[in-house]
Amino acid sequence: MRTSFFTYSLSIVLLSLFLVSNTFAQEQDLSDYRMRFRFKSIKQPDQSRILEASFIAANKKDRKDRVPVYGADITFLNVLGEEQVSLGSSKTSKEGIAQITLPENQSYLMDPEGRINFRAVFKGTEELDGEEKEISIKDIHLDLGLIEKDSVRTVQINAHTIDSLGLQIPVVETDIIISVGGMLSKMVIEEGSIEDGTYEFEMPTDLPGDANGDIKVYAIIEDHDDYGDVVQKNMANWGVSKKSGQESENTLWSEAAPIWMYVVLTILLVGIWANFVYTGIHLFKIKKEGKELELKTEN
Amino acid sequence: MEKGNTKKGSTNRRKFLKIGLLSGATTVAGATLLANLASEEELQASGEKIRVLTPDGKMVEVDAESINNYPEAHITPAESRKGIPDRKFVMVIDLAKCKNARNCVESCQKAHNLDYNEEFMKIQLIQDHEEAEPYWFPKPCYHCDEPPCVTVCPTGATFKRDDGIVLIDNDRCIGCKFCITSCPYSARQFNWSHKPKFDDTSQPYSPETSVPGTEGTVMKCDFCPDMLRQGKLPYCASSCPMGVIYFGDKNEDMVTNGEETVRFSELINDRGGYRHLEHLGTKPNVYYLPAVNRQFPLERGFDVDEEIIERYKDVPFVQDLKDQGKI
Amino acid sequence: MDVDIRKRELVKEFSPMLLKSTKWSKIWIGILVGFILWGLAAFVIQVIKGHEVTGMRDNVVWGIYIINFIFFVCLSYSGAFISGILHFFKTPWKNSVSRIVEIITVVSLIIGPIFILLCIGRLDRLHYLFLYPRIQSPITWDIIAIITDLIGCFIYLYLTFIPDFAILRDNSEDVPKWRRKLYTFLAIGYRDTPTQRNRLHKITRIMSAMIIALAIVAYTVLAWIFSLTLQPGWNSTIFAPYFIVAGLYSGVGVIIIAMYLIRKYFKLDHYIRKVHFIGAGVILLVISLLFGYFTFSEYFSRWFSHKTHDANLLNTLFNRYFWEFIFANYIGVLVPIVILFFKKFRTIKSITFAAIIAVLGLWLNRYLIVVPTLETPYLPIQDTRPEFIHYSATWVEWALSFAGIAAFVLFFILIMRLVPIIPMSGIIDYEREGKGGTNSVTQHQLK
Repeated sequence: MRTSFFTYSLSIVLLSLFLVSNTFAQEQDLSDYRMRFRFKSIKQPDQSRILEASFIAANKKDRKDRVPVYGADITFLNVLGEEQVSLGSSKTSKEGIAQITLPENQSYLMDPEGRINFRAVFKGTEELDGEEKEISIKDIHLDLGLIEKDSVRTVQINAHTIDSLGLQIPVVETDIIISVGGMLSKMVIEEGSIEDGTYEFEMPTDLPGDANGDIKVYAIIEDHDDYGDVVQKNMANWGVSKKSGQESENTLWSEAAPIWMYVVLTILLVGIWANFVYTGIHLFKIKKEGKELELKTEN
Repeated sequence: MEKGNTKKGSTNRRKFLKIGLLSGATTVAGATLLANLASEEELQASGEKIRVLTPDGKMVEVDAESINNYPEAHITPAESRKGIPDRKFVMVIDLAKCKNARNCVESCQKAHNLDYNEEFMKIQLIQDHEEAEPYWFPKPCYHCDEPPCVTVCPTGATFKRDDGIVLIDNDRCIGCKFCITSCPYSARQFNWSHKPKFDDTSQPYSPETSVPGTEGTVMKCDFCPDMLRQGKLPYCASSCPMGVIYFGDKNEDMVTNGEETVRFSELINDRGGYRHLEHLGTKPNVYYLPAVNRQFPLERGFDVDEEIIERYKDVPFVQDLKDQGKI
Repeated sequence: MDVDIRKRELVKEFSPMLLKSTKWSKIWIGILVGFILWGLAAFVIQVIKGHEVTGMRDNVVWGIYIINFIFFVCLSYSGAFISGILHFFKTPWKNSVSRIVEIITVVSLIIGPIFILLCIGRLDRLHYLFLYPRIQSPITWDIIAIITDLIGCFIYLYLTFIPDFAILRDNSEDVPKWRRKLYTFLAIGYRDTPTQRNRLHKITRIMSAMIIALAIVAYTVLAWIFSLTLQPGWNSTIFAPYFIVAGLYSGVGVIIIAMYLIRKYFKLDHYIRKVHFIGAGVILLVISLLFGYFTFSEYFSRWFSHKTHDANLLNTLFNRYFWEFIFANYIGVLVPIVILFFKKFRTIKSITFAAIIAVLGLWLNRYLIVVPTLETPYLPIQDTRPEFIHYSATWVEWALSFAGIAAFVLFFILIMRLVPIIPMSGIIDYEREGKGGTNSVTQHQLK
């Protein structure tokens, strides 16, 4: 016990020494790294918007060597000409990502075309240069309808933007990916392009969905020049549940054994122990007879 | 000391910074301040590390966030017997893509705090017959539907859950080793002696994490239910650079290797999925896609350390390669 | 009364065995205790350092502990089986051997299960077997079978001891007081009256039948620990009867060796005679033929059908374990058959020699059932650590094995100190039934 504790603490000490030396060693070759500063907007199903900046140092020579910048202060701004409004700031996580979430009713500064300009700024420190990135996004309204058309289960996507006059303008030539949600990931079921504000296709009929037969459908526009990332989701009870009945029978590998095993074991044990008891009773009788005999001889 | 520290870590993880700006934007931040870093590092020296760059230009190593951590709930041995409701987990291993990169083995070892030679996931080199070229064969526990190991356990220390996972409760295991002899796939291992790592009480024992181990008990691949509960893939599947390992819920009919998600039934039917040693009737939940149209030549797999190559010396094909001087 | 005089004579004849301890017996006991202490030291080391001190590793998780376990437990079952048969069928010459058999039964049933405990990683959790029992597990069956059998054998052994305890109680004027008290207590007032005698005979007879049945069940369950798994060398339908025959083979072998030693050491040439050796030898011959037949049939069918995994196993057996295989399954079977088959070879010494060969061969046969199978799993072992690929027992395992044998011999000697190795009551019964006649001469009368 004592020795194991000793080796344990020793290993901790050695490990921290190793870490320290590591830190110094790495400090030297920061020039080998190119800073990657990326910025995107994700419009979510609840109409809120995530602004996400990722800040990663990538080794110029070794593609696999990517080090996230941790704890860098990123400020997010809404810009229009000279005017700028701070939307919030956040520190990068251990993955090098800083995020803020803007609610649906957030008001933005917008140019006449309906574009919103976002800017993510890292001010820079003595060691790291400042970074700045700007994106220009049009607010898009994406609808995902799961409807039955002539008893054909159909996925219908409508997308439009609103211009400065408040008119709905249908979206054109925009790639869209439709997938269904699972426990661990989303599975793509259709890839297409929105023309004239809509896209429509027939839903596969053999998807199992979750335990209740509910299928979650996602429509996703990814990394679009005008709209950024946009996600919309909907749900329908269209699943063909394949859940195999998992009745907990008595099997060899369940907790309780097949009934016959209990029966056979009980019969065997009762039989054998009855015999043991029978033997015991007779031994007791022998003892009693012996005692009687003793009493007789004494008398 | 350790315990207090864990507590601090978990509150940090859940800390939300609310900054009211303009019309009340909410900022969600990974808010562990750098000032805390140094002390945290020293205390959790045994934990998993990732390398990050700080704004003042220093590369430091900090604790990774999700190595067997239980931010929300600890699953006790009793709870872990039930399984995740309405799930039936399956794994599909695409042998055509495996090149013995061993990331699955190593990430699993890190996550389960295993030693160099302790492998829940083993990569074997299998040669089906003399004419066939051998192929790399990653072998986890098969989590059989009719598991012989569970049948023979005298105390119910190993059990089959409703979600298909076979786990071991090493608080219950008496170490009779009968399950090891009855597993036809050699999936189980024994803790032959006490190791300092077993004393690590920084997280409570759960059969779902298999950590910390206990002397004199059996251990094996657990399909990482702790990760599944967080909606994440098991370590082996998420770490494979080739996307060899697909994992998912059979009830949903979806499996994913982290990059692509496909229908389980289509994958099995279109690509000739099979289960190893089907004739034994154990009904495994791990399926293999045959090693056809391979993406890598076999020799690529010998780009690992000497001791691991040594393992495969008895495979006839490897002897031929050695004679030809190819490896 | 004739009988009482006869009893007194017998007690006089056997009491030196019970009371006198010679210099040699003290040395022997000293050596045995030494072996046991050595084993205890090994056990302590195993408990402190863990199972790492054994040769067992992840592939071969069971080593010579389980082999000793099967060996001793089978020895016990065969003892019970033989003793039950001797008693149930009232075999005429049973007197000379029945007590040896009964003691072997009980002692080996105490020693055997200790070896399975040595295999268990967490002895501190042994009570979980009863807290969380699973009826499906063959281990549970085995535990129930062993416990039941142990109790049954104890009862049976006690029943056969009662009349002798009574005789010793009635004729123990010149023995220490504690011994007399012990005999009085153990004889539970048995006065050898006709009612008592009939009663005792009846229950002993029923128990002897019970013991045979128990032994068969217990043998079968033991064989099932192996044959119910999927392993190539174990999953065999004939394992249960094979284990019964193999157990009897070792059982008869050990009985012959014990008879030889006891005869020599206690100079009981008159009671344990050549005719007994020849009788036991003929039984050993029959069983060795049966055992050879089962062994052949087991390996032959594997060799002939040569499924891949069976072929791999046979490959291991015929290469790595070539000499062990030859000794266990050729020499261990054929030599006893040759010795015992020809009448002129049947001397006391040669029969004992055959028995020794049989017992050693059988132990190796068990080794070849357990270890090579575990070394040849379905998926080939791909490892670089030699101890994980091949099993070889360490000194700890050998020390504990020899301690087990030493404990077996020691217990045997101690029980022989308590009651005569030849049942006196048996001799009386035998003479009473008039079968004695000229045969009923005793050593005493010969002098």
